[in-house]
Amino acid sequence: MDHFARLGLPATLDVDAATLDGAYFAAQRQWHPDRFVARPPEERAKASTEAAALNDAYRTLKNPLSRAVYFAGLHGVELPGDGQTIDDPELLMEAMEAREALHESATAEAVDTLAARARRDMEQALAGLGTLFLRHDNAAIRKALLRLRYLDKFAEEARARRTNLQRVKA
Amino acid sequence: MAYSEKLIDHYENPRNIGSLDKGAEDVGTGLVGAPACGDVMKLQIKVGADGLIEDAKFKTFGCGSAIASSSLVTEWVKGKTIDEAETIKNTDIAKHLALPPVKIHCSVLAEDAIKAAIADYRAKASKKDEPQAAE
Repeated sequence: MDHFARLGLPATLDVDAATLDGAYFAAQRQWHPDRFVARPPEERAKASTEAAALNDAYRTLKNPLSRAVYFAGLHGVELPGDGQTIDDPELLMEAMEAREALHESATAEAVDTLAARARRDMEQALAGLGTLFLRHDNAAIRKALLRLRYLDKFAEEARARRTNLQRVKA
Repeated sequence: MAYSEKLIDHYENPRNIGSLDKGAEDVGTGLVGAPACGDVMKLQIKVGADGLIEDAKFKTFGCGSAIASSSLVTEWVKGKTIDEAETIKNTDIAKHLALPPVKIHCSVLAEDAIKAAIADYRAKASKKDEPQAAE
């Protein structure tokens, strides 16, 4: 069963956050361990498996990027896994230059400016995915998702950089 | 998890950080990435008239093992021919630095980076050898 089906939702790229939360909490109640205390061991085991699968589904679908990657996987777009490398010069040059700029940024304000741009780029790239899926352009979907992965990593590094700069200042 | 002394040394004192002129004819640039962990690695070689790699530089944004792997490769390739440099295997890197199994992919990235740099250098060299149109 895929993550969408598990939560009783249609498999779509865009998912309304409140709808997702509602579906998750309802399903979670159904499989809550408290309801199975007095049940036979095999039923308790099933409930705990279901609850774990639900958490996994919810976590994957809650974040727009992991949801998009998952949705793409359902449509046959596979991204490189651990230990697999890519050599797309355009994408990697953008990632390299962004990381260099972050590395050289000396103030929290400079980091914020870079982070805001990355957020904008991410929002735009995520918003553009729908059209790519309609066109079944798997190559473009793959490239957009790889770019999003790097933007997401950049955002993570920017947060770390900001924390460091503030620590030095304090 | 304990890291080897060699790994820590390359991480704390990375060799050959920097950039070479990407546009120069005697410079080959390899740019590779591992999207699963968001690492990006640039490795460059400068090949002398005698066919030996006279300089190598790298720039890596990634974990300590990725930095150490690329630092080690720049050190290894200096003074080698490109054919010799091409034989460097990720397993050699992983063994030398005693990379833990979960970090083996960092050595794969370094092998791919040196291979890409060599390929770029060769592409430039073969273009240079093509007969030029008379002016």
